[in-house]
This record gives sequence, C-alpha cells and structure tokens, in this order.
Amino acid sequence: MAETATHEFVQNLKELPGTVKDACFRTGKLPESEREESQATFHNLFLHIHSVRVHLRSLNPTLTFGLGLIAAASFIITLITGVLLMVYYKPSTDLAYQSMKDIHFTVYTGRFIRNIHRWAAQVMVLVVLLHMARVFFTASYKKPREFNWLVGLGLLVITLALSFTGYLLPWDQLAYWAITIGSNIANSPRELTDAIGITQWFDPGGFQKQLLLGANYVGQDALIRFYVLHVFILPLVLVTLMGVHFWRIRKDGGLAKPEDSPGGLAEWGGERREVFQPLATKTYGLMALVKGKRPTVNRGPENTVMSWPHLFWAELAVFMLTVAITLVLAFYSDAPLKELANPAIPENPAKAPWYFLGLQELVSYSAFMGGLLIPVIVLVGLALIPFLDRRAGGEGVWFGEKGEKGVFWQSLVFAIAITVGMLAFTVNFGWLRSWFPKIHQLWIIAINPGSLLVVVFAAWSLWVLRRRNSVRLAAVSLFTCFLVGFTLLTYFATVHRGPNWHFYWWPSQWPLH
Amino acid sequence: MTDPSRKYRWLLLVASLVTIVFLVGAAVQENYLAEWMRIQRRYRNLLADKATDDRGRELLARYKIERKQVSVPALGAVDRCVSCHNGIDDPRMVDVAQPHRVHPGHLLDKHPVDRFGCTICHRGQGAAMSFQEAKADDVFWDYPLLPAAMTQASCAVCHDVEKLPPNEVQLLLTGMQLYKQKSCGSCHKLGGRGGVLGPALDNEGAKTKHQLIMSSLKPPHTTWHWQLAHFRDPGIVVPGSLMRNPTVTQDEALALTIYMLAQWKRDVPESYLAPDKVEQKALALHPMPLTGEQVYQQYCMGCHGNGEFSRWDKKFNRFVPGIRGVSLVTTASNEYFRTNIENGRPGTQMPAWGPHAGGLTPEEISSVIEYLRGGASTAQVTPIAMPSGDAQRGLTLFQRNCYGCHGMNGRGGIAPEIGNPVFRQAATNEFIVRTIRNGRVHTAMPAFQSKDAPALSNQDIADIVAYLRTLGEKKTNKAVAQNLIPSAPSGGKP
Repeated sequence: MAETATHEFVQNLKELPGTVKDACFRTGKLPESEREESQATFHNLFLHIHSVRVHLRSLNPTLTFGLGLIAAASFIITLITGVLLMVYYKPSTDLAYQSMKDIHFTVYTGRFIRNIHRWAAQVMVLVVLLHMARVFFTASYKKPREFNWLVGLGLLVITLALSFTGYLLPWDQLAYWAITIGSNIANSPRELTDAIGITQWFDPGGFQKQLLLGANYVGQDALIRFYVLHVFILPLVLVTLMGVHFWRIRKDGGLAKPEDSPGGLAEWGGERREVFQPLATKTYGLMALVKGKRPTVNRGPENTVMSWPHLFWAELAVFMLTVAITLVLAFYSDAPLKELANPAIPENPAKAPWYFLGLQELVSYSAFMGGLLIPVIVLVGLALIPFLDRRAGGEGVWFGEKGEKGVFWQSLVFAIAITVGMLAFTVNFGWLRSWFPKIHQLWIIAINPGSLLVVVFAAWSLWVLRRRNSVRLAAVSLFTCFLVGFTLLTYFATVHRGPNWHFYWWPSQWPLH
Repeated sequence: MTDPSRKYRWLLLVASLVTIVFLVGAAVQENYLAEWMRIQRRYRNLLADKATDDRGRELLARYKIERKQVSVPALGAVDRCVSCHNGIDDPRMVDVAQPHRVHPGHLLDKHPVDRFGCTICHRGQGAAMSFQEAKADDVFWDYPLLPAAMTQASCAVCHDVEKLPPNEVQLLLTGMQLYKQKSCGSCHKLGGRGGVLGPALDNEGAKTKHQLIMSSLKPPHTTWHWQLAHFRDPGIVVPGSLMRNPTVTQDEALALTIYMLAQWKRDVPESYLAPDKVEQKALALHPMPLTGEQVYQQYCMGCHGNGEFSRWDKKFNRFVPGIRGVSLVTTASNEYFRTNIENGRPGTQMPAWGPHAGGLTPEEISSVIEYLRGGASTAQVTPIAMPSGDAQRGLTLFQRNCYGCHGMNGRGGIAPEIGNPVFRQAATNEFIVRTIRNGRVHTAMPAFQSKDAPALSNQDIADIVAYLRTLGEKKTNKAVAQNLIPSAPSGGKP
C-alpha cells in the first residue's frame, strides 16, 4: 500500500502542470472544433461578454476603426501605470512635487511609466471623442441602443473628469494654474448672479467651486479631493459604466449593422458569398430570452464567423496597437513637469487642459455662457439625439441615410466658415464691451460669440430639418457643427491665444516674460 | 474564403514587436545608457588608475555603480550631484577632468557635503540625474546652477560677509561697495532704506526668471545672466527701462550681480547660521547711524550728483536742484531742509526719506543736512523788512518773470516746482524773498535785484510771494487774474 501511495504521489507530482492547467481552464485545451470554440468563449468569465459568433461586418476595421477598443485599452494602460505611480506619489502639497521629481529622476523607469500614463490618458480623451463621432455618423445610437449612447456620454464626462483631476496631482505651475482656471470655470455662474445682483443670496458658482476645491483657492484640500477622485472614485465609476456599456453592446445585438440582404450573392470581405434568407424561427438557447435583434435572431448565421479566434485576434491586435502607440509616444516625449506651484507667480497664459480650451475660449467671452450654459446645452443636446431621431435605418453604415454625406460636407464648410469668421471678427474688432464700455453685463452674457455660434448652428440645423425633411439629417448637421466648433475653438485657444489671452499667430511670438 | 482575422494577426505581430523594441529600448536606456552610469564607469577607471596603495585598492573595491545622493532634510535638499561628481572629497582627483575633480579650496572642510548638500551654495536642480537638468538653464526649475564665480553670493545666506576672509568673498564685497558708491539706494530700497523710483531689492536673489523680462536677453535665460546683462545696459535688457546706466566694467557688473544674488531671505535653520550672521540680524534692527556724507553718497547722489549744480535730467524730463549750492545752503534754514527731506516733494520724483518712508533716522537727516551745508550757516544773514504784497499784481509779475522756467502755477518745468505743497509749507517768505533777490549761484536762477535780470523792487517781490501763497488755496490762476476772488492776505512779514 505504502508503495502504491508513494507511487501515486509521485505520479501526481509529475502531472502537476497539466492538472493545474486543467483546473484553471474549464475546457483545458485549445479548442479544435467550432463547438469547442464556442465553449471557449462562453465558459470564460472574461470572454463570455462576447457572442460566440461575430458578424463579418463587425470585423471590418473601417466600420469602427477599433476606437472603442482603443479607448478601453488606453484605460487599462492608465490603470496599470497609475497603480505603479501611486506607489511613489505622495498627495501632499509639501511632498507631491518632490515625489514627482523622484519619479522622474530616480525611480526605476519612473519617467517612462509616467510618460506612458500621461500619453495613454491623452489618447483616451481623444479616442473617446472620436468614438462618439463614429457612433454618431454610423447612426449606431438608434433603437435599441439609445441607453448605451447615454452611458457613453457618461463615460465621456468621467473620462474628462479623470484626466482633469489627474492634472493637478504633480503640483507644478502647469497643474496649479490649469486647475485654478478650471475651478474658475466652475465658478462661472457667478457672472450671471453678479450681473443680476443676487450672488449674496444665491451663489451656485461659489458652491461649485468650493465643492471642487474644498476651499476658495487651490490648496491641500483641493489636492486630496482630486487625488481621491482620480485614484478611487472616478475609476470605480468608469469601470462600472464600462461594464454596463459592454454588456449593453451585447444585449443590444452587438455592433449596429444593417439587415443582411434577403438572399442571393453579396459582396463580403472582397469576395462574393452566399447569403441566406432570414430564418424566422432560428434562435439560440438561452439567448431566446433576450429581446431585440442579435446576430443570430430572426436571421441566418451565414455572415458570421467564430469569435474564437477571429474576434479575439482583432481585439488583442487593437490592444497591442494601443500599447505600441503609447510606448512610442512615451519614449520620445516627456510628460511636462514645470516649476513647483507658486501662487505668487501666475502662468501667463494660464491654460486649462487642452480638451477644455474650447470652453476656456468661450469663457473668455462670457464665463456663464462658456462655463455653464453652453456645455449644458451641448450635453443635453447630445443626450437627446437618440430620442429625437427615432426613424430606423442607416444603422452601422457610415453616412447611411440618403443625402447624409452631402449634409455633412455642407455643414462642415458652413461651420468652419462661421466659426473662423466669428473668431476673426472678434480678434479684429473686439466685442460689445470694446464698443460700449458701459453696457450692462447681462447683454454680454446673452450676446457673445459663443452664444451666437450656438444660435447660428441651431438655426442651420432647423433649416436643414425643414428643407431636407429628415430628423437624422438635421441631427447630422448639428453634430457636425458641434464637432467643428469644438475642434476649431480648441485649436484656436491652444495655438493662437497667448499671454493675457491675446491673439498671436504662433506661440513663438509670445513675449518671453 | 480568406481568413477574416489574418490582417489582425499581422497587426498584432507588428504592434507586439514595436512594443518589445521600445520596452527593451527603455530598459537599456535605464540600465546602461544613463549619463550618470557612463560617468561612474569612467570614474571607476580613474579609481583603478590611482589605486596604487592599499587604501586606493580598497576604495576601488568598495566602489559601486549606483545612484548616490545627499539628503539634507533641514535645508529641504536631496542633492544627487554626487552621482556624477564622485571625486569631490578625494584629494587624489586634482588633475582629472570634470565631473570627477576634487572640490577646489578648503570649503568642504568647514562645510561637509553630508551636512550642507550642494544646492545651498551652488543652486541648480539637485534632484536631477543629468547635467543639463541639474544646471537647469533651460528646464522648468526656478534656481539654475550659478557659475562658479558667482557661488560666493550664497555665502550671505549663513554669514555676515563682512566678517568673512575678504579674499573668499571679494566680488561680493566689491558689489556691496559699488552699490553704495553708485548710489543705487537713491532709487532702490534695500533693508527698508532707499528711494522708490525703482523696485525694492530685498529679495532680488530669490527672483525666478518668470519675474524678470527675458524677451530681449540672449540665452541663457537665467536670472544671473539677466542681472549681468542688465548692469551693463538696463535699457537693452528691459526696453523702456528708466534705470540710469550704472556705467560699470564687466568685472563690476559681475560684482553687482553677485551682490544682487546674495539678496535672498532664505529660511535656513538657526543651527546653520554662523554666529556673526545671528549678530548681523540683531544689529540690523538697530543699525549704526550713517554719517552725513555716507547718507548723501548712498541715497542722494543718484539724482543730485555732487549737488553743487542744478541740472536737467533728460531721462525723467525733470529738473534736479543742486542741493549743496552755496546760495541755497546760505539761504535755507535747517527746518526747510528737514521738511523737504522727510516729506519729499509729492508729485515729483523726490520721495520722502523720513523713518517711515525712505528709512533715514532723524539723526541721519540732521547729519546729511550738516553735510549739505558744508559748514555754511544762515545765522549771520540779517532779516529783510518787506512790505505787504498784492497777489493779483504778483500774478502778473510771476507771469512776466518766473513762469518761463517755473511753469504755470509754479508746477515746474525746467526749474523746481515752487507750487509744490511741501515747498510752500517748508519755504518761509524770507527764504523765497532772499532767493529771488540773490538768485542761485551756478544755476539758471538769476538775482532779480542785480544787473543780470529785470530789477524787481521789494514791493514786486512781496507781491510775487503773496501770489505764491495763494497757490495752495485751490484757486485757479484764471480766477485770480479775473479778479473773481479777493487776493490773498499779505504774507510778506519777515
């Protein structure tokens, strides 16, 4: 007996690698048949959010450009590098800057990791915006995906908030003055309450600013608030919303796509493939409980391929692409770290992070309009899109509706002309205050380049609505105007605004002082 | 059917290769190519070359390639300069190239590196691990490395430099003397004393480049380079600067720069201060009074020159009176001088120099008045009996005789502002009468009872004085001229 037990023990020891692997992976080996492939997808916590088969259209890179995946990948990169940075970072006004210097100079690869963190965050903000544009222009917000559009908007806001809160943490001049500007934007309702003289009784601006900073100035209270938001609360909210977002993609039927053609031959992946009639009764087990259109409900599975391995190769490739891009950027370009924050020496110009510079440009006309009303109008307008444009059609196709491309180009040219014209006019001729120095501030709040842009864009969209008789086309025109306005204002404030927010052709012309 | 994921597998391969290449690149850079590592490898070779005895061999054996730093919490310094400057305390490293060389002089004997660090004297970014970032000429750091010759500016942080061996801080002492010689205090405040035409210089050495106008300065854009260039020609560095060109040599500009860099009220623990510094701080509360000549040289000469002549200052477009002129000091009383010095001349560029303004004590003002007088006195002058004056007639006379130089309402022009409130308060009638009668030697002010100028009778002069007395009453020239208001009460009682 003893010998048998010893024998068994040695045998078990020998088989250890295999048995551990079997215990970890439910299928135990790489799938060989489609059945096993579907199990590999279905039986894995991380993969089962995918359907087991994926439509060829969804694998087409020019449908999505992988933007959502890049956004998610860049978040994972910031998460990992962020945890590494947390090990060395000290959120105290006395220590923060020195700990940044230590990360730069002595922590092993600290500078590289901080650069990756910073670049991944920049990529994330940019890609989230592009992803929103992609979803809009492929009409992918339409029923049943309205809710996921809203979740996406929430993710956009959280992404901006994450990036903004991270901006303060180095406690350098750049951080200090950018957050000072940012908190003054939060304070902007005061312009209106001041103008009508009710600030001493009703002061939402001051409340917002104090809520953000925990004080009237950017100090230790603000730093710890921003730190907690940046490393804990906002990532938690973001992960949660991301989970909901992914889950809804699956439940809403995968990526939006048009109906398959009802038979005959069609062009697919560069070749003619047979397309079958929809099979009205065909469903897959559990998923029959799910309402709405999915790849395999009411339709033949013929334009789909197995998710394992095709979809996962694609996802892995996009993830690695994001990693590679951020690594290359991080290798060649250092994240900025200016002098220690010094409340006595203002940065001039003090600029907010780049994605808020469009707002800062509007704030320079009217704090209330640029800091509160216009962003609220934009966010509410974006949120309403799927509920006001409810006619089905065009989902999952770039510029899918008839005449959409035309409206897009017209709106593009129109919005560029209006925005550039407005900026050029303002730079050359000033605004109401320069002409009527004693005018009441309420007039400027109501009539300024920012509010005029909103009105003109809205009017243009209404005109498209009436003329083209299509809600979708009106939405396209408005969204295009919004994109152009955002891009141009951001560009303008980044490049052409110098000290004292004066106009300069290039930053190299700024006075050096 | 083509494989739908083929292109993604290629993408994955390429992206993964790029990732690996850059990860390896970052690792190589971090672990092998860093500047400080190359320097330390060279230093190890130097150690091997010099390991001729047991001690040398032991030093070589103990030597490790690693980040080295001096942490001095009391001074808030973590100085990693020693990561590259390995040989600063090794006396054998005299004939080697930087950064391996031993620290020159015997300063480290009294200032051990582990107690003082490096940046307390040299400035620069101590935390940096590369020379470019440590030097901090063109990176985001407030206090760039000082050139070796300027390092003595930092001695003033902990020492009373006048008590140090003069050869160690020669330039700093020269700068201090030049500051007095050039009468910088006429326009600038330092230690609570000085004029107000220029900025106070109390913390000049703590300024960062963002507090100075750098646009016209050639690189490097550092504070010390700004000071150096600015002393050579203020107008070139700061366009439109009102600062008079101090006309200094290159060496003097360096000395003044060092003196400016030494003006830094740095917060250093008491235990770091030399005993003479503590004493100096205590004495600063009760400074030794300056002599009249010293006061004049440090605080008056910048505008008044030697004071014997009045002059026209083109830069400020102003008239500067010669306050040591013989006819002034024989005419004006001590009270006249004292009122003018203590209160200044509001509206002109003569600031107040009293204890709460320019910082001169009453004794020092007395001394400087004595110095201005140069021994002359008004005591022997006999009083003049004057008739009472008519202000309206005085206006006519003023317009005919005085207005050309002293300006409308006496508001100045190419001659002093005699409508100035402090002047009107300080000047007695007798002083004015005497000045008009006798004029001012060496100035454009003629004696109006001599052959040099239209003769004014005693009555004429009394009328003019009466007119001048109306100026303070906020009545316009025009109103007096049109006889809308009664003329001022007679003021001509000597």
